[in-house]
Amino acid sequence: MFGYVRPAAQHLDEAERQRFRSAYCGLCHTLGRRYGFFARWLLNFDFTLLAVLLSLGTPTTSRCQRCVAHPCRGCDAMNASPALDAAADRSVVLAWWQLQDHIADHGVWKSIPYRLAALLYRGAYRKARALVPDFDAAVQRHLRELDERERARCASLDAAAEPFAALLSEIASAEPDETRRRIFAQLFYHLGRWIYLIDAADDFKADAKSGNYNPLRCRYEIEGDTLPDEVKSALGETLDASIRQMAGAYALLNAGEWTAVLDSIFYDSLYGIGKAVLSGVYRKQKRRIRRTKEEPI
Amino acid sequence: MTDPYKVLNIAPTASDDEVKHAYRELARKYHPDNYHDNPLADLAQEKMKEINEAYEQIQKQRKAGAAYTASSSAQSYSYGDAAYSNASANPVMQRVRMAINNGDISMAERLLNETQEHDAEWNFLMGVVCSRRGWMDDAKRCLETACRMDPGNVEYRQALQMLQNTASYRPAGYHRGGTMTYDDTCMRLCAGLACYSTTGCPIFCCI
Repeated sequence: MFGYVRPAAQHLDEAERQRFRSAYCGLCHTLGRRYGFFARWLLNFDFTLLAVLLSLGTPTTSRCQRCVAHPCRGCDAMNASPALDAAADRSVVLAWWQLQDHIADHGVWKSIPYRLAALLYRGAYRKARALVPDFDAAVQRHLRELDERERARCASLDAAAEPFAALLSEIASAEPDETRRRIFAQLFYHLGRWIYLIDAADDFKADAKSGNYNPLRCRYEIEGDTLPDEVKSALGETLDASIRQMAGAYALLNAGEWTAVLDSIFYDSLYGIGKAVLSGVYRKQKRRIRRTKEEPI
Repeated sequence: MTDPYKVLNIAPTASDDEVKHAYRELARKYHPDNYHDNPLADLAQEKMKEINEAYEQIQKQRKAGAAYTASSSAQSYSYGDAAYSNASANPVMQRVRMAINNGDISMAERLLNETQEHDAEWNFLMGVVCSRRGWMDDAKRCLETACRMDPGNVEYRQALQMLQNTASYRPAGYHRGGTMTYDDTCMRLCAGLACYSTTGCPIFCCI
């Protein structure tokens, strides 16, 4: 479900791209340091954004660090910080429960890869659960709720997106300051809503084939495996509403050195990613970027 | 008192035009239209107050010597959620309106869920409750139903218009459109380092 949110490169110079890259590498190193090598595979862009947002207000430093992917040259990675730790702990807990979900959803044979992965992450999860017990309980509660709504074939986009949005919103509780907690709660809620709806649009074809629940099919009563144009524009409108809520919350934060990176996310790339997903070019684009290394960060 | 130039994010040596420009940009950013039915409206209002005070103070300082008349170039905006104070014939709906005005959204929602008859007013108030919670799609659906059931009602029509108001702040240089009108020909996303391929195998990038 994760990995959609990335800055738009056209608004950033090399130094700013490097800054985002250092947060990405910093989170990877934090996952590795706290939870062992395999936890690095849980790294994704959305949690990088969460780490950046949680770190606002405290100056961040970075240094060149080597890793398996960059054994010789190393790369610039953000130094350990409470924000990176918070993001790492929460991504391990969330990944674990999503894995459990996959195990429950698949048959005995098809669930074998997930069971093996669960074996790999058991230790990491136990450690993370001890560090953030409240978040662990909240994730279980919200994912259970999500499962119930999906089983009931919920026909409201908002009701279907609520559990996932509320789950991301829980991450705000890592913030000690009351005002900032309110801002983060609102920002993360709409980030969760946006991710859930984008994911539903992205998976629409696959869900049509497999017969899995898809909130867009139930809300707009769509037959067939493509999204009609009028559904795309209605969905675009409701995605825009969430982006505006995120931008409104973000404007109340002092982004400091992260202003250019975060501006490009909240004022540009979220719209662009939405457009790419709705017009069906997102996955292709991702592959093209990876193959040609067009814009490596 | 905080440095007014810091609040407007400009140097004390900035020209009058630069001060005005910085003020206008920030006023656009925290404009109440961007925070309609938003739980953070009070924080935006505080920001706007700070900006207005800083602007007034700079003007005052720069006009020192000359007789200063409190200029009203700093505009005052009204924040806060629209008041749903129209009288309702239905006592339950009246209680729902009061709950919404007091900010007690869960109470309003409970009362609405207990009501059997879903008339135009019920749909309107449910739309308002959904909008406050960030449930934009359900809000739109309810308000559209309310307008369809009672096409002549100005209050319902205004609420739907406010919901569809797509005003939002973007800094200069950013496009103004939404998701569906985004021009993706010039879009380049920062790709990942692709340190790990989708199968989870590390890719050695710098050997």
